[in-house]
Amino acid sequence: MELQITIFGQLTDITGTNLIRVPAVSTTDELLAALKQQYPALGTAKFVVAVDKKIIQGNTELAANSSIALLPPFSGG
Amino acid sequence: MENLQAVDMKERKPKQIFVQGAISPAFIADSIQKHSTRHDIGGHSIFLGQVRADTIEEKPVAAIEYTTYEEMALEKMLEIREAIFSKYDLTCMHVYHSLGKVAAGEICLFVFTSSKHRRMAIDACTELVEKIKFELPVWGKELFEDESYQWKENK
Repeated sequence: MELQITIFGQLTDITGTNLIRVPAVSTTDELLAALKQQYPALGTAKFVVAVDKKIIQGNTELAANSSIALLPPFSGG
Repeated sequence: MENLQAVDMKERKPKQIFVQGAISPAFIADSIQKHSTRHDIGGHSIFLGQVRADTIEEKPVAAIEYTTYEEMALEKMLEIREAIFSKYDLTCMHVYHSLGKVAAGEICLFVFTSSKHRRMAIDACTELVEKIKFELPVWGKELFEDESYQWKENK
């Protein structure tokens, strides 16, 4: 099982792609730890995590079909 | 009651706000024209965002390329829309935001509120623009003529 994470904005400069797949984990804390290991620059980058289109506050449970996205500071308009 | 619920269901459908490329002045003029049949309106307020050619390390910004997390942005916009409608007595509200490349000098954001009286229209428009800037998952990439870029930051 894998999780799919969509990457937006300046974070794509770190990942080199807007879609990454990682082995399934059950919480966002575990996911972030794995991502930061794979992409150390994420450790200092500013971003929030959205699960199923909602910005999460604190550690959140993940399901295999959760839609997960990393969102750097917004700069529309 | 049943009727009200039917209206609510209809209203809850996210409305498309994104347009590809710049928003043309003709589109804006047309949108104003369409309101002439609404005789309950006494005041409109319009905000237009224009791409500014900031100079960074002696290089001017040639264009901004916008991307979004569209499904989330449209849901968020629906929330913002409902919050503004419940706070201000508006006749109508329209929001258009560009995606893709918009050259310096072109319009990238069009926010249009209408009300019976000016104060409601102006205040709603101001709050709407702030919410769009800080709550919508949209990103601007400032492109220079030599094809280098930097990511825009909202202040």
